[in-house]
Amino acid sequence: MPGEATVRIRELKKDRVNFVLENVDLAGGTSFANSLRRVVMADVPTVAIDMVEIESNTTVLPDEFIAHRLGMIPLISTSCDEGIRYPRECNCTSHCQYCSVELQLNITCTDDTTIDVTSNHLDVYTGEQTDAGDDGDEPSKRGEGFGMPVGKNDPSVPPVLLCKIRKGQELKLKCIARKGIAKEHAKWSPCSAVAFEYDPHNKLRHTSHWFEQDERAEWPLSENAIEEDAPREDEPFDFLAKPERFYMTVETVGSLKPRDVIFKGFEELQTKLANLIHGLKSTTEIETNGRMTGHVVPIAQTGWGQGPTTMNGTGGGGGWESPGAAGWSV
Amino acid sequence: MNAPNRHELFVLDDGEKGVEVIEDTKIPNAATFKIIKQDHTLGNMLRSQLLAMPSILFAGYKVPHPLEPYFILKIQTDGSITPTEALEQAGNALLKLISDLQAKFKAEFAYKDVEGVDGVAEDPYGALPSNMTTSAWGSSTRFYADYS
Ligand SMILES: [Zn+2]
Repeated sequence: MPGEATVRIRELKKDRVNFVLENVDLAGGTSFANSLRRVVMADVPTVAIDMVEIESNTTVLPDEFIAHRLGMIPLISTSCDEGIRYPRECNCTSHCQYCSVELQLNITCTDDTTIDVTSNHLDVYTGEQTDAGDDGDEPSKRGEGFGMPVGKNDPSVPPVLLCKIRKGQELKLKCIARKGIAKEHAKWSPCSAVAFEYDPHNKLRHTSHWFEQDERAEWPLSENAIEEDAPREDEPFDFLAKPERFYMTVETVGSLKPRDVIFKGFEELQTKLANLIHGLKSTTEIETNGRMTGHVVPIAQTGWGQGPTTMNGTGGGGGWESPGAAGWSV
Repeated sequence: MNAPNRHELFVLDDGEKGVEVIEDTKIPNAATFKIIKQDHTLGNMLRSQLLAMPSILFAGYKVPHPLEPYFILKIQTDGSITPTEALEQAGNALLKLISDLQAKFKAEFAYKDVEGVDGVAEDPYGALPSNMTTSAWGSSTRFYADYS
């Protein structure tokens, strides 16, 4: 029996975690580790600016240029699960306090010196919003600074430069930040980079190294190579060997902590699997019934996943996107 | 305009089923599963978990077209279990692995403290190796427009 899966964190910083996964060969290892990589990059929800209303822009940059730059700013997204709805789950007409965070920016340059307009000039607006969806307690569940640009009021974090303005120019705008995932737009990704490596000595020959004269000299080893024994000069190729150690670094943009990204990633994987198993179970029931009556029952007639039938109902389909749908949450 | 909502690529429509099972009429103990609004993240993981199971003769998946948000998974078993049961077992095995890893990660995170002191500026491009004095981006503080 293969050993139990283990995890070893080699480095943990404010914005990154580096770890080694061992003995995950149960699932063929590589593909499970790769699914974890995919899920932390593309399936973990955050908030990001999604709509910009520009009241005045006399800067040198056009409106859409500034709107695009605003979208890229990482916003604090902790407690995204309970703190905010997906826009499609809210029945307001455009945006409200339950499905959005409003940010405002208003800068005029009256000095002779150029002003750097940065993410630090964005303020979360907490005043009244007229249009609102069904009552909820989302806003009260938000953590401190929810929706605020990452690193605002922290002198150790350099702000994101949006634009420079000179004397007589101004920029005044309102932003609506919404919840989303990176499958919709990369600005919602909590990760700036995910590093993934196995077999640093290429003993498994899953890749071939092109070289001019000397393979060893032209392909320097990665720092993960110290974790594994180098192959001997005369070692025969072991064609049955499988990768068993995976080196990963998850680097975040700051909207979520590395720890939260990992756990949310696992939750998303659980949701995917739980929904699949749930779907299989209801399909089997229907098949059995169909045979009993001698009819072929169209699969679409099951009650599975029907959920609320109203458009934009707060339940959202079959709860597919809601984490821990079948009680798998941590 | 007429562009579909982008979330339609990963959220099931109202009443839409996530899984369709098509039993194979020519090959014994074989079935094709159409898994809707899911991609390689789930497909690849399931396929390799299935291949690790002794009763599986064949398991393979594909995403037929990158713009159509579903994948198909073909399974053939040796007859000791049905393909549907096999898929369910694979899913449960993966869920077990995940909860194992969650516990392991929890323990590791509890034991590790975040390195680096708060309030001390960290170089956003990473610290330089001790034998290098200037970064790869150069040490110049000149404004880009000053270059000609
Ligand atoms: Zn709303």
